[in-house]
Amino acid sequence: MRQSAKFEPVRWAAAAMAMISALCAGTLFLYLAVQSVPVFRARGWSFVTGSDWVAGEVYGALPMIYGSIMVTGLALILALPFALGSAVVTAEFLSSRSRLWVKSLMELLAGVPGIIYGLLGVSILTVLVRDSLGLIDGNTLLTAGILLAVMILPTIMTLSEDALRTVPREYRETAWSLGLTPMTTVFRVVAPRALPGVVGAVFLGLGRAMGETIAVMLVIGGLDRIPQPWYDLAAPAQSIPSKLGREAAEAMGSDLHWSALVGLSLILFLMVMGLTLAGNLFLRRIR
Amino acid sequence: MMNNRTVERATLGGLLLLTLGACSLPAVILGTVFVKGLPAIDWAFLTRESRDFGAGGGIFYQTLGTLTLMIGAAAVSLPIALGATLFQTEFLDSKPIKQVLRLLMYSLNSVPTIIFGLIGYMFFGVLLQTGVSWLTGTLILAVMILPTMQMSLLEAIESLPLRYREAGRAMGLSAWQEIKSIVVPQSFFGIVTGTLLGLARAGGETAAIMFTATVFSGVRLPSSWTDPVTTLQTHILVLAQEAVNPQALTNAWGAGLVLLALVFVLILGSLALRARWPMEAER
Repeated sequence: MRQSAKFEPVRWAAAAMAMISALCAGTLFLYLAVQSVPVFRARGWSFVTGSDWVAGEVYGALPMIYGSIMVTGLALILALPFALGSAVVTAEFLSSRSRLWVKSLMELLAGVPGIIYGLLGVSILTVLVRDSLGLIDGNTLLTAGILLAVMILPTIMTLSEDALRTVPREYRETAWSLGLTPMTTVFRVVAPRALPGVVGAVFLGLGRAMGETIAVMLVIGGLDRIPQPWYDLAAPAQSIPSKLGREAAEAMGSDLHWSALVGLSLILFLMVMGLTLAGNLFLRRIR
Repeated sequence: MMNNRTVERATLGGLLLLTLGACSLPAVILGTVFVKGLPAIDWAFLTRESRDFGAGGGIFYQTLGTLTLMIGAAAVSLPIALGATLFQTEFLDSKPIKQVLRLLMYSLNSVPTIIFGLIGYMFFGVLLQTGVSWLTGTLILAVMILPTMQMSLLEAIESLPLRYREAGRAMGLSAWQEIKSIVVPQSFFGIVTGTLLGLARAGGETAAIMFTATVFSGVRLPSSWTDPVTTLQTHILVLAQEAVNPQALTNAWGAGLVLLALVFVLILGSLALRARWPMEAER
């Protein structure tokens, strides 16, 4: 770094911009904490553990927490084979030219706006799910899980592929020279080394899935209840972002209802943050 | 025991199938939107105002609204992102402060977009009294894309070869001269790439603006700071939820096609530039 004692306007301008950017984050976290105080004061722990939500009367977040976790887990199970399969193929078997193509396609896929998935979900996927499972209504946990799986596939694929490629070439060459087949090399030699990175990729993908709003909101059914039995994926449910999206406009400024929504946001934020931090820790281990 | 070779081939085949499945998704999505949306699209659709609850007319003001919000957001975000990045790369010596700034950016990047909508409305709309307006939406989106742009700028500027700076310093350039004649020009492609990604992210966002910046109908261009706009994203949202008229749903697909094309062009632009910029740095 340079040493200079004289006054430099550009230094102060840059510092101001850095300050603004840090303040954006700081203000956001502060608002989340402060504005959710009323609902925790009014409801205590029952805000988190309660399973009824009637605007103006009781606020219990459990069905939404349940919905978020279920739909995220489902998305992961559906996306994982495709994401890992294509990561292995791209990192280990493709030429650098085809690799660039695959990565570019994934970048495009990651950029498809949520509302487009919502539209596809509403007019195609819900009908497919309804007809193939013989349901009355196709707005279910399963429908939301399938859409989310497509949305997080590029995140998991790209980061896992990066992780596989951080494994030094010598490992592969040694394995081949010992007469191991390409598949054995990949699964027994390369994959174990890249595992922390892949786990990190999965966590980051989960974090993204949990916060996704618009597509999920349109197809999850919007019912604030834990299905009976709890593993019934063909039942309508509710996730936290979907709940926020549906009620934000009507709750605007109305005290406890608004605070309850910010409280939900806080719970969501903590879960997503936990996943993201875990993901980054794992990713750092391979770098 | 099964033949090793067979197992080997079967595994590779399975992996290839999975890859093919994953890679065909962008094409499937684009294809579906194209097939469903193309019947709606003609010159009148692109240049006329929407009528009859989306069943008639076009999406002219929706397109303008989307463009307004995303260009506004990038215009607000770029100077902040650039300044903050330069502060970290050119001026800041302290490692701990650097780490704090970076941690804040990573955290902001992981915040679900709907939360930007809620808190952003409270901060801009209520505290700064911008209400439900295009200005609120622009500012919320600006904060939302700030980490995207900043991380991309940081990557571009940090990848500058050290010898460029050394050459500048050997010539006794001031910080401002070094930024102006070395850092910014040499990482120009990176800056443009980051901006394109920010634009794409802002243009594709719905949750953060649906209750903070937009209304469904009855507005054209904003005539004051606190007027709401109408956008492609929220237009599709309303039509997808409530359209009974099949023509309105077709128009929703048409709007979707325009939006998807817009976002894809921005992303492809960033990819094309990124393919070029390492060569610039390696020269």
